Amino acid sequence: MILFMQQLVNGLSIGAVYALLAVGYALVYSVYNFTNWAFDAFMVVGAFAAYYCITLFGLPLPVAIGLAMLVTAGVAVSVEVGAYRPLRVRQAPRLFMMISAMGASMAIVNIVNLAFGGSFRKFPEISSASVELGGVYIGRMDLFAIVFSFVSLSALWLLLGKTRIGLGIRASAIDTVTAGLMGINNNSVAIIVFGVSGVLSAIAGVFFGAKYAVYPYLGLVTTKAMIASIIGGIGSLPGAVVGSLLLGVIETFVSAYISSVYRDLISFTILVLVLLFFPNGIMGAKTVDKL
Amino acid sequence: MGYLTSILILGCINIVVVLGLSVLTGYTGLFSIGHAGFMAVGGYAAAIIYIRLHVPFALALPLGGVAAGLSSYIIGYPAFRGKLRGDYFAIATLGFAEAVRLLLNTTYPVIGGAYGLMGIPQKTNLPIALAVALLAFAGAQSFVRSQHGKNCVAVYDDETAAQMMGVDLLRTKLMALFISAFYAGVAGALYAFYMAYLSPSMFGISKSSDLLAAVVFGGMQSIIGPVIIAFVTVALPELLRFLLAWRLVIYGLLFVVMMVFRPQGLLGYRELDFGPGWRRATAAVASRLGKPRPPRGPQGPVEGTP
Repeated sequence: MILFMQQLVNGLSIGAVYALLAVGYALVYSVYNFTNWAFDAFMVVGAFAAYYCITLFGLPLPVAIGLAMLVTAGVAVSVEVGAYRPLRVRQAPRLFMMISAMGASMAIVNIVNLAFGGSFRKFPEISSASVELGGVYIGRMDLFAIVFSFVSLSALWLLLGKTRIGLGIRASAIDTVTAGLMGINNNSVAIIVFGVSGVLSAIAGVFFGAKYAVYPYLGLVTTKAMIASIIGGIGSLPGAVVGSLLLGVIETFVSAYISSVYRDLISFTILVLVLLFFPNGIMGAKTVDKL
Repeated sequence: MGYLTSILILGCINIVVVLGLSVLTGYTGLFSIGHAGFMAVGGYAAAIIYIRLHVPFALALPLGGVAAGLSSYIIGYPAFRGKLRGDYFAIATLGFAEAVRLLLNTTYPVIGGAYGLMGIPQKTNLPIALAVALLAFAGAQSFVRSQHGKNCVAVYDDETAAQMMGVDLLRTKLMALFISAFYAGVAGALYAFYMAYLSPSMFGISKSSDLLAAVVFGGMQSIIGPVIIAFVTVALPELLRFLLAWRLVIYGLLFVVMMVFRPQGLLGYRELDFGPGWRRATAAVASRLGKPRPPRGPQGPVEGTP
């Protein structure tokens, strides 16, 4: 029972990282109907920025996370302006958007790789202490990841639901062209949406780096987030969160009770099964009216 | 001589995969970011049936292709059945390639796992590689000119309109995927019998990116463009060794620049044409290798087949 609870908490903490990424995907998808394939690069930038803020400049963790968010949001917005906007304005086919995004991601990840080297870096120990809760030991960092992820997701929820900016984003999600005609500045919506998704991926990058290691190809984990958002129903924000937690927990249980070798295999099998039997995901019905 | 031959052989192998990927991405508009996975399946399958079952080399090549083609249904059928967006398929191919790599890594007692599969005889030489590349070229050429190829182009341009005109979306996409996976499998087999050694790390993400780059730079809906680039991307790194590390950065930036300024690629929607003689020659080769099906319905003669 203790082992079960322990694994559940581990699963939720990695699920929370997936959730940040999956929500970032869902946000961009719901507004622009395309998957942001450069997301892995944003995550890598976030993780490296935080790592070097702490190791080189000795900044405390919250400041490092804040700076990483800023840097990543900047990269995300420049990718939007440089690689997506010219295509979006021209209403280019989705295939071209995908290629452009892949290109941006390839360039950024490999620049990071060449500039900083491909080695695995251990994220500086923030706190190894763990909290005991009814016999279950929870690492401080895990707890922090879970809490911080949910605080940021709730903040996003409030931003989308309660503010004028959120109203504009939601209007664009329903129909970008009509929203533009109604006086919403589509370019600022794009900058906000990409900025927010950059911030989310920076947080995810920091927590993922802290849990495992910081290396240029850590962005591969976004595949999992994409699988999670397909499980949840692509384009649906609540679906993305539920799918991510589910995937995180399933993966952790597979590693704990079967073998960690099969962890990634299981997630791929789940993807195939979901595509076969629930092509719209578990929250599929809700993806129709978006957000 | 040996060095030049090896570049030529690797170039031919690359051409075979890229031809298949061009049918899938360039003509059907389906984006695969895990094509190295199919190469791995084909290479391993061919090597294993050769070593364990003593199947002759000439038969092992196509069987490797068939194995890769069949494995493509694992992702093709679920992803295409529900008329899902291309993004699902792309992520499924990436997942497939990773899954194949992980599975191969865990097979140490049977086929060497991460240490690699050894004991494959070196059978691929320049004449064989050239012959396969030529066959593959002619086959792809005749496919895209056939009715099936036209269905693929229709799906690329507008799925809904294609369906309205009676194109079976699921069948067309599965066929394009099968062909491209088959090509990748054959190429994987050629590669296995050339390197005389296989390891899962040969078929990583950067291999898939290289393949995709050839199709994107070569051009959409063109066979000859990707073929040229496929050869160049093998030969060029040999000449520009100092740029090798920056290769993927340059590819990435070029992807973006190309999509913004010249999205159709180098030779998009075009084929090399050296006049009527060239057209007759390629058509003759194409028709010897499988007659394009006559068009069904009241469409009249197909313009692409002279």
